[in-house]
Amino acid sequence: MKKNRLSDSIWVFGDYRNYFQNRVTLQLIAKGKELAKELDKQLIAVVLGDQVHQYAMEYVAHGADVVVAGEDPGLMEYQVDTYTAVLARWVEAFKPQILLAGATSFGREFFPRLAKRLHTGLSADCVALDVEKDTGLLVQTTPSFGGELLAEVVTPDHKPQMATVHPGIFRELPHDPDAFGCIIYPEIGPLPEIRVKRMRTRPQQTHDIRLEDAAVVVAGGIGLGSKELFGMLSELADLLGGDVGATRPAVYAGWAEEERLLGQTGKNVRPKLLISVGTSGALQYTTGIQGAETIIAINRDPNAPFFKIADLGLVGDAVTVLPLLLDALRKRV
Amino acid sequence: MEIVVCIKQVPDVPTVRMDRERMTIIREGVESVINPLDYIALEAALELRQKAGGHVCIITMGPVQSEVALREALAVGADQAILLTDPDFAGADTLATSHVLARAIQKIEPFPDLILCGMQTTDSDTGHVGPQIAEELGLPQVCGVNEIHREGKFLVVKRLSDGFVDTVKVTLPTLLTVTKGLCPVRDLPLGALEAAFSTKDVLEWNMTDLDLKKEEVGFAGSATQVRRLRTPPPRGSGDIIEGPPDVLVGHLLRRLEALSILDEEDEKK
Repeated sequence: MKKNRLSDSIWVFGDYRNYFQNRVTLQLIAKGKELAKELDKQLIAVVLGDQVHQYAMEYVAHGADVVVAGEDPGLMEYQVDTYTAVLARWVEAFKPQILLAGATSFGREFFPRLAKRLHTGLSADCVALDVEKDTGLLVQTTPSFGGELLAEVVTPDHKPQMATVHPGIFRELPHDPDAFGCIIYPEIGPLPEIRVKRMRTRPQQTHDIRLEDAAVVVAGGIGLGSKELFGMLSELADLLGGDVGATRPAVYAGWAEEERLLGQTGKNVRPKLLISVGTSGALQYTTGIQGAETIIAINRDPNAPFFKIADLGLVGDAVTVLPLLLDALRKRV
Repeated sequence: MEIVVCIKQVPDVPTVRMDRERMTIIREGVESVINPLDYIALEAALELRQKAGGHVCIITMGPVQSEVALREALAVGADQAILLTDPDFAGADTLATSHVLARAIQKIEPFPDLILCGMQTTDSDTGHVGPQIAEELGLPQVCGVNEIHREGKFLVVKRLSDGFVDTVKVTLPTLLTVTKGLCPVRDLPLGALEAAFSTKDVLEWNMTDLDLKKEEVGFAGSATQVRRLRTPPPRGSGDIIEGPPDVLVGHLLRRLEALSILDEEDEKK
C-alpha cells in the first residue's frame, strides 16, 4: 500500500457527457494507468458534477485506482470558470505530477485556462504519450504544421505536466465489475459566479461518431478518381459491417463529408480492419489510421508509400478490383 | 465598443515543405499570411464596429517582419496596430505568449470591451493563447464562436461544442475565440495595402515598454520545450501482391477469413 494515494500521481479529468459515445476519459484512464505503473504511481480520475457517483464507479471499473469527485449543483454544467476554480484548488492541494484531459471542445477550452492559473505547460491534442522513468517526464507528442511534423514536447520544470489528448488514440480497459478502488469527495470550496450563461443548446445535426466505433473502416483517397467509384466504398463497408472514411483530398473533391475525414485534422480510428483504397500515404492521413490492427491497401502504384504501412498490399486498379470484390462478397455475406 | 484583435503571422501551410532528412521545416520560399481564423476575428471586429461604433486595435507578437500582417489589417480597416517585438520574445510557448499579449492589452487605453482571437492557428494549432489571455486578465471566455450579437452590456454568441450548438450570454468585457462561419472575409480594396504602408503608423512595444522581465517571456518564460521533431514510426511492411484482379480479390477474401470478418467459405456451404 502506498503511503499517499493522491500526491505525486497521474490524474485524468473525467468527462462523462454523452457517456456511451465519448470514451476518451476511459481511453486516458487506460493509458494513464500504464504510465502510472511505469513510474510506480497511482492513476486518479477526477470528476465534477451535481451527481457523479455512478461515473466515479465506472472509472474504478475501468481502471482508476482512486477517483477524486466533487458533487455540487453549481458544477452540473461544464463551465470553464467553475471547473478551473475547483481543479486548480485540488491540484494545489494534492500536487499531481501529470494531468490529462481529452481534446474535446470543452477540454481544449478548459485546460489552457487551468494551465495558465497553475502556471504550467500544456500541449494540445497529443497523439502519443510516454514517460521517462529516470526523470518522470511526460513526453507529449503533438502534431504541428498541419500534421506534417510531430513535435515531442516536455514540461521539465513545472508541475503538473498537462496535456490534452486526441480521442480514439488509446484503447480503454474492459469494464471490471470486481475492480476495487476508492472514491473520495474533497471539499470543493467556493465557486465563482457564472459569467457565461447557457441560454439554449441543441444537438449539431451532422454529428456522427459511428466512424470511430466501427470495427471495419473502408477509406478512400483521391486515387479512386471519381465520386462513383468512391461511392462503391459504402457498399463495401456495409457488406463488412463497417463505415466509410476519407482522406483530405477526397473530402476536398466533394466525394465525402467533412465528418468522414480521417487523419490529423480529422478523426483518428483504431478499427480491427482498415481497407484503404486509392490513398497514397500522406502523413496527414496515415497518423489517423495507423492504430488499426490490420491495414489492407489497394493502389495502382506499386511504389505508393502507403504500401509501407500496409499488412496486405494489393497492386491493382480499384476500377476493376472493387466491382469484383463486391460481387464476391455479395455471394458470401 | 472598443475591440482588440490578437493576430498571428503564420507560414502559408500549402507552401510549407519539409526536409525529411533533417526533420526541419524548409523556411525558404514559404509565404507568411495572417492566420486564417484571426482574419475572421478581424472581420468580425470591423462588423461590430460598424454597428456599435468604437475602435478596432490589432496586436501581434512576433519578429519585426510581422509588421506586414499589421499593415494588412490596417488596410482592411483597423484603426490602430501594435507590434510586440523583442529578441527576447523568441521561442515562447503559449504560457509566455499569452503573458506578453495580456500585458500589452492592459496597457491599451481604454481597456477593451471585447478581445477577439482566432480559435486556432494553422502552424502550432494549440488554441491555448485566447483562453490564457482571458485567464491572465480575469475575463470570461467563450471559444469557437461562429455568431455574435450585442445585447446591451452582454454579448449573445453561438458556438459548436462537442456536437452541440450552444447559445450563451456573456458579460462584457470578455474574450472570444472565433471560428469558421462567423463572417465572410472580404478582398482587400485595390491600393489599400499601399495606403496602409504610407499613411498609418504601427506602434512598436518591446520588453521594456511592457515592463516585463527576460525570465517572464520567450524561451525563458516558457514551461514547455520542444525536444525533437519527427515523423510517425513506420509500421512493418506486409505482403505486397501483384497480379490480375481475381487473384487480388482472392488474397483479400482469405485475409478477411483469417481475421474472422468473413466466415470461411466451406463452413458457409
